[in-house]
Amino acid sequence: LIKPSGGTKKIKKRDGEKINLKNILLSKLNRKITILFYLVGLICPTLAIIFFYTVIINSFSESLSPEISNLLAQITITMIVLMAVITGLIGFIISKNISNPIQKLYNATRKIEKGEFDIKLDIKTGDELEELAAAFNSTAATLARLEVERKEMDAAKTEFLSITSHELRSPMTPMKAQLQMMEEGYFGKINKKQKESIRIITRNADRLDNIIADFLEISRIEAARLKFNFRETDLVETIKETAEFMQCFANEKKIKIVVNSDGIPKIQADPDRISQVLRNLINNAIKFSPEQSKIEVDARLEKNHVMFSVKDCGIGLTPENQIRIFEPFYQVENVNRRKHGGTGLGLAICRGIVESQKGKIWVESKEDFGSKFYFTFPLEPVRKIEPIKVLFSERGIVNRKIKKEFQLELGPLGESEFEELKSKNSINKDDLFQYIDFLVREYILPAESGDSFKNRVSKIFGDEKEKGIINDKTDNVYKQ
Amino acid sequence: MLLQKAKKINEEPKMTKTIFVVDDEEDIRESVKTLLEKNGYNVITAENGDDCLNKLKKVTPDLILLDIMMPGMPISDVVKNITDIKIAFMSVVRISDARKKGLTSQDNIVDFLQKPFNVTDLIDRVELHLSN
Repeated sequence: LIKPSGGTKKIKKRDGEKINLKNILLSKLNRKITILFYLVGLICPTLAIIFFYTVIINSFSESLSPEISNLLAQITITMIVLMAVITGLIGFIISKNISNPIQKLYNATRKIEKGEFDIKLDIKTGDELEELAAAFNSTAATLARLEVERKEMDAAKTEFLSITSHELRSPMTPMKAQLQMMEEGYFGKINKKQKESIRIITRNADRLDNIIADFLEISRIEAARLKFNFRETDLVETIKETAEFMQCFANEKKIKIVVNSDGIPKIQADPDRISQVLRNLINNAIKFSPEQSKIEVDARLEKNHVMFSVKDCGIGLTPENQIRIFEPFYQVENVNRRKHGGTGLGLAICRGIVESQKGKIWVESKEDFGSKFYFTFPLEPVRKIEPIKVLFSERGIVNRKIKKEFQLELGPLGESEFEELKSKNSINKDDLFQYIDFLVREYILPAESGDSFKNRVSKIFGDEKEKGIINDKTDNVYKQ
Repeated sequence: MLLQKAKKINEEPKMTKTIFVVDDEEDIRESVKTLLEKNGYNVITAENGDDCLNKLKKVTPDLILLDIMMPGMPISDVVKNITDIKIAFMSVVRISDARKKGLTSQDNIVDFLQKPFNVTDLIDRVELHLSN
């Protein structure tokens, strides 16, 4: 009975020559069915043969010559070996017949998981498996249709945003022109009360126009139509110019903008976009800074990016606000909110611009002590711009799921660790993987938990699980 | 070219300069017209590219304020037919540098004005282009 299991091992090895996950998984089924065949097709006859052999030997023990007795033993062993080979073969062929369609179904399921819906399974087994494949095909077709609809809806949303913003913006031109002319006395002298009224209208028209302009920008970010003009850029110059420009606004509150950007080489970048993000952050810093304070603008060269930071000595942000501040329309509740104005889209746009270049933006802050905003731009520009969801981001759902995984894996510690990563805007796959690697390296997590943690994380990000596992496996090999 | 055929009506030495405002939106046309007239300019208007080119057969303005997005003839075709009058584009969309380059191959294109504009800025820019 040792031989048969040797047989299955051989089969398994032959089967597993192109080692990949699916085959390892499926060989289990192959093995099970083959073993079943052995049980039914080998053990029972073997027992019977051995039984008859013993009966014959025992019944005619005196009349049998040693040669015949030997021959009988040989025949018995040969019969058992032959049966082992035949049942093994039949078992393998039959199990293959069952497992092949299952493997096809499995592969197709993986494809669907990756978002490839153009699947047409061709399984003609004439049994329930064929019916399953047919049902699978129609499910895939339905999913494909839903995916197309979803994409259309998404495109329609962006298109709608873009068109309405344009349409909303055109009436602003004559409106603002007429208002300004009236205010400047083009149509005769106006009294104090009238002037005040016009000023209020103008202020609100401006605000409306800013919101529309921001909406337009967001529609561009979401449709990956954000324009970048990459050219050789002296960032030191860009930062200096931006700071000088913003100093005019800072002067009103007697705030000093200090720049430290030494040693940044010339790189390929779009200075206008970098300046746009910086202006936004400095503008916020001015808004929330006390009079006669200081704003520090820094730029530092890191491994493959430049890290910018804008630090103020303002009112700071609560941990809750530190995260939500990058959401569109989120404005920190504040007595001075009205006074600060703003569209509530500035930081969301900054995030869109930075993430379009595969950079990161985050804030470190302490209440009553001030905030420091960071963002990064790569040394090599990202020319293929991908759409970034700004308005209706799926981030909230992803964050909730990740948080749950953290709590599961790390217990009560998980929540604070999660919040810490979140405040650094590190809830993305690469950073989380790095973090998990760190946990494993520091023996906080055993390697296997690390791997399964990674798998669950990539699953939440909707990535192909398989790729993750294979990478992890190779990683482990290298480690060993 | 069209302009060589253009009959010059204002032959007498003109003190006031003429500005041609082309925009498909009446309110914008009228607002800019009022603004410029109040600042002492002579203003004519057109509501699309064809209208603009037709009127140019009869008058030669000193500066054309041309909306970049209008129904009818494509703006690039309109511009090709105007070679020796200064043109300043008006646009509600921010125009990318690449597109600006494409449009500024002609040296009579002197400016891009972003709508909605500040009226003081507009007057300053117009004055600048007319004094050069």
